[in-house]
Amino acid sequence: MIVEARGVGFVYPPARRVRPFRLADLTFGVAAGELLGVIGPNSAGKTTLIRLLSRVLEPSAGEILLEGRPLARLDRAEVARCVAVVPQGVPPQFPFTVEELVLMGRFPHAPGRYFESGADRATARAAMAATGVLELATLPLDTLSGGERQRAVIARALAQEPRLLVLDEPTAHLDLRYQAETAALLRRLNRERHVSILLVSHDLNLAAEVCDRLLLLAGGRPVRLGAPEEVLEAEVLEAVYGCEVHVDKNAASRRPVVQVVWPDAGGR
Amino acid sequence: MSPGARLVAVLGVLALVLLLVGAAALFVGSAALSPGAVLAALTGRTGARSIESVVTLSIRLPRIAVAALAGGALAVAGVAFQALTRNPLAEPSVLGVSGGAAFGVVIGQSVGLGFGVLGAAGLTAFAFAGAVVAAGAVYLVAGAGRLSVQTLLLAGVIVGLFFASAITVVISFVDVNRLGGVIHWLLGNLATIPPASLGLFALTAAAGLALVLPHARELNLLALGEEAAQQLGVDAERLKLQIFAGAALLTASVVAFAGPIGFVGLIVPHALRLLLGPDNRLLVPAAFVGGGIFLLAADTVARSIVAPAELSVGVITSFCGAPFFVWLLRTRYRALL
Amino acid sequence: MIRTLAVAGLLLVASPGHGLGVRDMIGRDVALAGPPARIVSLVPSVTEIVFALGAEDRLVGVTDFCDYPPAARRKPRVGGMLAPSLEVITSLRPDLVVATTEGSREETVAQLQRLGIPVYLVAAHRLADVWDVIARLGALTGREAAAGHLVAGLRARVRAVEQAVAAGSRPRVLYVLWPEPLIVPGRESLVTELIGIAGGRSISASEGTDYPRFALEAAVARAPEVILLANHSASTGGIDRERWRGLTSVPAIRDGRLHAVNGDLLHRYGPRIVDGLEQLARAIHPEAFR
Repeated sequence: MIVEARGVGFVYPPARRVRPFRLADLTFGVAAGELLGVIGPNSAGKTTLIRLLSRVLEPSAGEILLEGRPLARLDRAEVARCVAVVPQGVPPQFPFTVEELVLMGRFPHAPGRYFESGADRATARAAMAATGVLELATLPLDTLSGGERQRAVIARALAQEPRLLVLDEPTAHLDLRYQAETAALLRRLNRERHVSILLVSHDLNLAAEVCDRLLLLAGGRPVRLGAPEEVLEAEVLEAVYGCEVHVDKNAASRRPVVQVVWPDAGGR
Repeated sequence: MSPGARLVAVLGVLALVLLLVGAAALFVGSAALSPGAVLAALTGRTGARSIESVVTLSIRLPRIAVAALAGGALAVAGVAFQALTRNPLAEPSVLGVSGGAAFGVVIGQSVGLGFGVLGAAGLTAFAFAGAVVAAGAVYLVAGAGRLSVQTLLLAGVIVGLFFASAITVVISFVDVNRLGGVIHWLLGNLATIPPASLGLFALTAAAGLALVLPHARELNLLALGEEAAQQLGVDAERLKLQIFAGAALLTASVVAFAGPIGFVGLIVPHALRLLLGPDNRLLVPAAFVGGGIFLLAADTVARSIVAPAELSVGVITSFCGAPFFVWLLRTRYRALL
Repeated sequence: MIRTLAVAGLLLVASPGHGLGVRDMIGRDVALAGPPARIVSLVPSVTEIVFALGAEDRLVGVTDFCDYPPAARRKPRVGGMLAPSLEVITSLRPDLVVATTEGSREETVAQLQRLGIPVYLVAAHRLADVWDVIARLGALTGREAAAGHLVAGLRARVRAVEQAVAAGSRPRVLYVLWPEPLIVPGRESLVTELIGIAGGRSISASEGTDYPRFALEAAVARAPEVILLANHSASTGGIDRERWRGLTSVPAIRDGRLHAVNGDLLHRYGPRIVDGLEQLARAIHPEAFR
């Protein structure tokens, strides 16, 4: 197990006018070489989960183990050497080039260094090659398309040489073409380079296609954990998402395909 | 070129320019010394009590040192603030620290620190105290412990406004005779300071620099957002505190020893970014030298353009700063408008 | 006369071999190598006094504001009062710089001292201080006799004014140093004393410090019978009388007793202060000076 959560709970500190949110009873793990998908409606706790795994937040209950060691006892750099989080893009006005961005991924390996070493630069170039952005290395990020930017961000995460890659909604806001590209990239990374991946996505069909297992979260609690066919069942999805769905099977891959049953004007 | 070599090259060029500007500044002044006289004073061929010696070594040289140090400190504080707040328009005075220091000095002057007793040294102490109070106030107002970027900016603006009003209140009660001196100081003027003060200034500026420079790489990562930086292994809370403290120390020492001077922390970092790119590992050290060049040049203009009277250097930096600011907004930061 | 000489004697303490040690007007000890022969004046009043004493040959530098007598304008300039050029002062090789606690900056004094230039500070809050300044400058420039004569003459004119106004009433006087914000002479100010000598009662005489701010309402409430507007050489344009004419409840406005006076005469504590006094007296008691 690369990462394991045991009975993890989390409560955001109470604040006025904010609905209390809590994560509870989260127990699951990501095996080496696995591609696990985390799905669920908005505010199901997916982002909170990512924050817990990357030690941005500390669980209020239970514990998280990283390669068998308690996450809480590791320092941030150690965590970053093991877990790399791919956020959705970069903040606006991000001034750096692709290569400078990817090199940032080398920080946890030698936080005390002022400049990166030659080995760091080599690792960065390899990461850029893996995601196909090597020829864009000297370009500033804000001149790239959405898909290219996403691949650059993934390259940065790869440069961390992590055991686990965590992706937060990697295909949100991307064109179909880039969605397909990203799916292919993830598969390649997982199968050819043996990178363990935790994929958080609202895109059920993407998750169904590429993931080995799915974890369905709702209201901060785990609902189902298992193979896509086991998790993506119509009754379960309808209960969680609150709308009518129809689950088919993809002819080529044999994976489930979820379709929303669009209501007509009258509602139901 | 490896990044280390590039840094050395950049610093080398900047240091050379600084030396040239500094040397040129030695030859400029209202005492009408010939270049030969200045050279003689520098090489020690004139007596220690001669005019050449006194003007060149006791008046111009310390002032050049103050200008270079103050400019460097303000520029580094500017880089630090812009990285910390991820706002390209952030400037040392945004923190309210220069406001607090100015308030301290105004209090000291209006209380009429004795001509013989405390004088200039006492005013420096007041400035420092004011700066520390302001920095502490910003820290507390921003919510001690969890320094979010937006609240930091807001707290800085609030504290700055508060001290600006406080200064106005004090000025309105200051005796007319003292008013000229107070306002003169508030405009921002560089002046010759004694070697002991210069040493202390260098020390405090170095301390501020020491808090910022080693974290230049982490400042780059901060551009990804705090959460992403944390996920890369950066202790964001501690980093923010250290950078904040360093920038505050740099600003406070400039205001205490040289007075409130604006725009340097805005112009120099941006000019350097245009030349060197956004990497803080280059910008921070380059700003320390580049800021010195800028303020030294500005001060040399300020003290020669209407000789023997002097313009306050703050006037020159504002005259350069305001149009530069507008140009910056229009070309590079259209999105912010 | 005797008093002047006594003061001069007290001032000059000759230390053999170490030059002169004098004490300035705020009690600082100032070490001089000998009687000063190259003096830089950072105070317009001092410049006027030095010229009046006939010692202007010892004056090597003055400020941009030292405009009286006209000959003073031909002396080398060192800049303004607030930020005189250290370089120019140094290159004039002065052996004494005279500055004031009202108008010069502590920093300037400190810097000059660090450069090894002796600085002598003067200040005057009372008419008696003005005689003191003249006497001290007389002692410093070796013109004690001239100083004595000058002071004697000035004091005689002061007595003449006192006698002329002795018989009259003592009208309430509002002296306006600056109209907006309203700045008036307070307890510590020389002008307050002069108004008293000129046969008037300043309505702001009990206010603290030299020149405090004052509310226009308070001024109106105290119903001044004479309003004097100070005209400063630095300001452009005439006195704005219009803003005052609207205050018809004020006796001074009703009776048309709104006068301009020359601020330079009253805010420099040189010999012309008595000219200023006479101007005040004529404005307050015109009947005594026909």
